[in-house]
Amino acid sequence: MKASISRRATATARQSRRHIRPSTISIPSICITTRFQSQSTTTSNASSSTPPPPPPYPSSSPSVNASEISHFNALASTWWDPHGSSRVLHLMNPHRHTFIRACLSSQRDPAPSHKLRYLDVGCGGGIFAESAARLPSTESVTAIDPSAEILAVARRHAARDPALRGGKLEYLNATIESLPEAREEGSYDVVTLFEVIEHVDDPASFLERCGRFVRPGGWLVLSTIARTWTSWFTTNLVAEDILGMVPKGTHDWSKYINEDEMRAHFAKKVGWSSPRVLGVVYVPGMGWKEVAGSEKIGNYFFAVRKDPAEALVEREDMAVEQV
Amino acid sequence: MEALISRRTAQWVCNSCSRSVRRQSLLRYASTTTRAASEPDIYDVVCVGGGPAGLSLLTALRSNPVTSHLRIALVEAQDLAKNKSWTLPPDRFSNRCSSLTPSSADFLDKIGAWRHLDRSRVQPYQEMQVWDGVSDARIEFEWGPPAAASGSTTIAYMVENLNLTSGLLKRLDELSGVSVYDNARVERISHGRETEDGLDLTEWPVVHLSGGKQLYARLLVGADGANSPVRSFAGIEAKGWDYGRHGVVATLELEGSGWGGDQMKVAYQRFLPTGPVAMLPLPGNYSTLVWSTTPENAALLKKLGPKDFIAMVNAAFRLSTVDLEFLHKQGGGQADEVAWRFQHKHVDPATVPQTVVGVQEGSVASFPLKLRHADTYIGERVALVGDAAHTIHPLAGQGLNQGQGDVQSLAKTIGFSVDHGMDLGARMSLEAYNAERYAANHVLLGVCDKLHKLYSVGSGPLVPLRSLGLSAVNAFGPLKGFLMSQAAGSGVKVL
Repeated sequence: MKASISRRATATARQSRRHIRPSTISIPSICITTRFQSQSTTTSNASSSTPPPPPPYPSSSPSVNASEISHFNALASTWWDPHGSSRVLHLMNPHRHTFIRACLSSQRDPAPSHKLRYLDVGCGGGIFAESAARLPSTESVTAIDPSAEILAVARRHAARDPALRGGKLEYLNATIESLPEAREEGSYDVVTLFEVIEHVDDPASFLERCGRFVRPGGWLVLSTIARTWTSWFTTNLVAEDILGMVPKGTHDWSKYINEDEMRAHFAKKVGWSSPRVLGVVYVPGMGWKEVAGSEKIGNYFFAVRKDPAEALVEREDMAVEQV
Repeated sequence: MEALISRRTAQWVCNSCSRSVRRQSLLRYASTTTRAASEPDIYDVVCVGGGPAGLSLLTALRSNPVTSHLRIALVEAQDLAKNKSWTLPPDRFSNRCSSLTPSSADFLDKIGAWRHLDRSRVQPYQEMQVWDGVSDARIEFEWGPPAAASGSTTIAYMVENLNLTSGLLKRLDELSGVSVYDNARVERISHGRETEDGLDLTEWPVVHLSGGKQLYARLLVGADGANSPVRSFAGIEAKGWDYGRHGVVATLELEGSGWGGDQMKVAYQRFLPTGPVAMLPLPGNYSTLVWSTTPENAALLKKLGPKDFIAMVNAAFRLSTVDLEFLHKQGGGQADEVAWRFQHKHVDPATVPQTVVGVQEGSVASFPLKLRHADTYIGERVALVGDAAHTIHPLAGQGLNQGQGDVQSLAKTIGFSVDHGMDLGARMSLEAYNAERYAANHVLLGVCDKLHKLYSVGSGPLVPLRSLGLSAVNAFGPLKGFLMSQAAGSGVKVL
């Protein structure tokens, strides 16, 4: 069954090559100010609570944009160079697992006893996807990216590790819009969007679409960067222009979303609860440090849980009572 | 896969059994060469070298639930069954002993190996006496009342290296699950290949054993000593120099169990211009000698009969450097010369070790002293530990402890990688190990090297200066306490 899904997804992806997503990094250290901005940065109507009619398999996607794709294609070759431009992402990766574990252990109901199924959206070279697939607690990882070039790098790299064989890790050249929803909807324990949303044109509809793949009781986990003067200074000016740590053109500051905006977005949505946030700060020479409160000024993790099936029922009951 | 692992587990049940199992598995291997050629034998960790550093690493990995599922292989040239069953009568001691710091002992205890050592052969000591052979300036290390009250009065433990190796092997035996290739020669180490089904192992080290066995390593650990073949494979250079000195070792019998009896054992070290001479306590009336000296002096000491050798050792802790120089020039008759000189030289007996009355037959040996430090401890899918990474002057007795520190750090680094889904052999995953150990080892190597050079000077302005240094340190309590904590490995880490 799996094979047929992947064939189908690849086929649809082939029709829609012009997509993207990818990665981000900052080196924030001080807080300046937070500028508020309406969430929707594009023309789409997707921020309304009613989901847009899912286009069967769109030839263009609201979530990705062509210039982003070509930018990250150019970076493909250095993705696994430990001293290359993706080094900061490699260093951040262990914190992603720490954060996911914190989310799972925060549940009041028992954590799932089965092995976890991951969907990694915008997997890039596979830094997170590979690591998740190596964990003994993982059932499978489906990793998607719109850039065929970066996926080629990811596949070549995964072929170097015998532990990643046997179908546990599957790469698909797809966008979240082109993933066959009917088959996969609600089937992932953890859907991850690491350093992706800041590269997306229509974050609200993108989140909406990603959320559908989370099983009831599962988690939508993302990391991104706040839109502050600090983050502009550190990611665009310092990291890209001055230090050259991150390739120029990696960040579009106006697309950054703040943590309070993220929380407000999910507070309005029915069926999502238990938002969690964790700020991380990059200290040159020492790596990433978890710093409470730093989510207001720079990079942060954010997670929100899809209500378990029982809770949904309860909520529906409540709704009925209110009526 | 499961079946394969459990078969390998069985290999380590006991060594005599394991060898027959191994022979079987080799036979099986031979009979399925075609399959074996297409399916590489892949391990998470292949450790070359079954000395204290390599064995501690594997024990640490096997005893930690996070890393206990890893596929591990050990390659060793010696017969490990012999090392495991090592034993000596209580009145005989191996001449290769090490001073284990309490932090090394704690680590060995944590991984469950300490209780497998023959504890009746382990000797803790509570005091150190160090003095300058030219000026007689002296520093005495002993724990003050606060430390004594807390019960941690042990500066270090004297342990025979073979006692440690045997204990570690017994613990590994108990843990099981390591594929052991002992009596095995590493013919060469190469890189892997791309398999027909698209697995790319071109960056994976492959250890080729004599007999044709090939072990693929996610992480290849070089615990293979100062001339490490693993280090050569990784193209890592080790820089340093030879001291032009040899270390002479011997097992000595003293007139008693020490001035403080069995409860208060003392380690003695005297800095002579030719190098430091140290006497470290073993259980009962026994002690072990480590005498760093010129190759010529070492050759003479090894040639002397027991009576003359004993006289030279007693003289080394008591007579002037001029007298010692003279005695080293005599082809024999040192016993009479020394007896005569002692009549004219008064030494406070409490400041020197008790008189040596015997030397264990065949225990006098020597080895050249060098300082080597690898440029880095890590490469892609390679990590170096212990002597493969660094060789230190033995004057501080830190060599084996440095190796234990390496192993503790590497095991922790591997555990972190496994816990976070990282490829434990990737260079990036190993960076934490290199960062944690390299600078710390470098400082210790440097300090011991400078001490050696400082005390190699027999006369001139350095002598009163360094004596002033020792006396000042002795008089200044806090500094002495700090130095002592470092020696015991319990102090604040500078780095």
